[in-house]
Amino acid sequence: MTAFLFILFAGMAIGCAVAMVVQRNPLYSAIALIGVFLALACLYVMLAAPFIAAVQVIVYAGAIMVLVVFVIMLLNVEAEERQPLRLRALIPIAVTLAAIFFAETAFIIYFVQASPVSLRNVSDVGLTSSIGGGLFTTYLLPFEITSILLLMAIVGAMTLARTGGLLSPRAAVVPGDQVFSREMLNRRNVADLTPVITHSTDEAKELLGVRDEGEAE
Amino acid sequence: MDDLKQVGFISLGILVAFFVVMTMVAYTVLAERRVLGFIQGRLGPNRVGPGGFLQPLADLIKFIFKEDIVPDKSTRFVYFLAPILATVCALMTIVVYPFGPAVKIPFVTEPVQLVVARFDVGLLYVLGVTSVGVYGIALAGWSSNNKYSLMGGLRSSAQMISYELALGLSLIGVILQSGTLDLYSIVEQQAGHLGITGWNVFWAQPLGFLIYLTAAIAETNRVPFDLPEAETELVAGFHTEYSAMKFALFFLAEYVNMFTVSMLATTLFLGGWSGPFVHQVPWLGIFYFFGKVVLFLFFYIWLRGTLPRFRFDQLMSFGWKFLVPLAIINIVFTATLQWSGALDYVGQYLKTATGWLG
Repeated sequence: MTAFLFILFAGMAIGCAVAMVVQRNPLYSAIALIGVFLALACLYVMLAAPFIAAVQVIVYAGAIMVLVVFVIMLLNVEAEERQPLRLRALIPIAVTLAAIFFAETAFIIYFVQASPVSLRNVSDVGLTSSIGGGLFTTYLLPFEITSILLLMAIVGAMTLARTGGLLSPRAAVVPGDQVFSREMLNRRNVADLTPVITHSTDEAKELLGVRDEGEAE
Repeated sequence: MDDLKQVGFISLGILVAFFVVMTMVAYTVLAERRVLGFIQGRLGPNRVGPGGFLQPLADLIKFIFKEDIVPDKSTRFVYFLAPILATVCALMTIVVYPFGPAVKIPFVTEPVQLVVARFDVGLLYVLGVTSVGVYGIALAGWSSNNKYSLMGGLRSSAQMISYELALGLSLIGVILQSGTLDLYSIVEQQAGHLGITGWNVFWAQPLGFLIYLTAAIAETNRVPFDLPEAETELVAGFHTEYSAMKFALFFLAEYVNMFTVSMLATTLFLGGWSGPFVHQVPWLGIFYFFGKVVLFLFFYIWLRGTLPRFRFDQLMSFGWKFLVPLAIINIVFTATLQWSGALDYVGQYLKTATGWLG
């Protein structure tokens, strides 16, 4: 029974992974990747780690991949065209790397099987309470460092995504109807010079991201 | 042999749960149409069978025999996959809800807990399966190759991942207090006096309950948060190009989702199957459980008959700027209470104050 389920889910994971690489349509690749995550979650359940499985589904399949699919849908990415390989020189390197990878896997499997089996009491490993206890006592520091890292990533992403960073904060905004070039508002849109008309100072300030200086807010 | 017996037992449980839920969902649709009719001062469907009782069956037959139209430029595989995904994900969660306490069943020696699959992370399982359900709608919108569908799909995925956050955060308060993710234990902890005083909604998590209720309506794409299928702007949103049985599957998924969020609300906040005299007569638990679920469903229908639709930017700012901070406040508040032991004190007080009841 266990062996049957393992072969089923492992086969699904490998099949989906291969499909993800082979597919030319990015959305199909994304769907195949979701399949990989779901199959891995099933494998985690079989390894008596239901919490990891649930988190895998919630975080990867349910959140990150939704964003990926969202972006693919928004940009309406077309299917990639099959182009002649430009980096032909990399093929032997890829083959070598694959050979090293398989050798490594064989090495690990061999030594795991050769080493004496030492089964500790593992009945509570993988339970939610034991994972939570571990995270907030023994591994508190790495846990906190990870959270700070993620926070930095969020702040960095927001800084990169902000528009209107070109103008100096002292730039004055004239009241009345105003015309700005799009280039002024978004520095990544260099080619687009169609003007943007704003009808009030507040609107212009908002577009430009200008703050009042010297005035009490 | 033991393995096989267990598999058979669980399969039987799944079948029973499936038929119970499907029947109730079918009649929820009928109830919705009748109640909406009542709210809007008309009759609603009342011709098929006594009082419209056979209407769901007639609808089903109609759906099956309608012509199935597939748009020419659609992405075939995804177009077929989407409704299946939506329905399967909606139905998968029903196995973890405890319908009732342990009861005696003929031919089985030990009392059987009325839950198909009881495991350590039941609550996380529900959240995980629900979050995968987003793909059904998003992919349906994309694969139809129709701008209205695409807009509907985009809106729904943005809305569902935004409100999932508020929904998940509102549940953390309950988890903090019960100290477990197992739904059966959470229900057991809410027994209280007469099976009523211990409900989380009263003095433990009233704020969490309100946040959950609001976020759950948005998660199921119901009025007033039904932007993904706003007919005034998007024809029919993500299912514009779907017809016949595929449309029926989306319809089904929406109502099953309504049903499952109601079951989750009942389980976490309204004490699940607990109620007066459940200890003496365990079978009563089933009636209490479904009674509470029906209350929620009625609330949903009532809302649909009453409230207008949000605007999309209002929806987003309400979710991110109001519900999520409120949920975080709720968590901090609950954690502080839990840490200071104030809740235990209140519990003790309630126990003495209501001692004469039990």
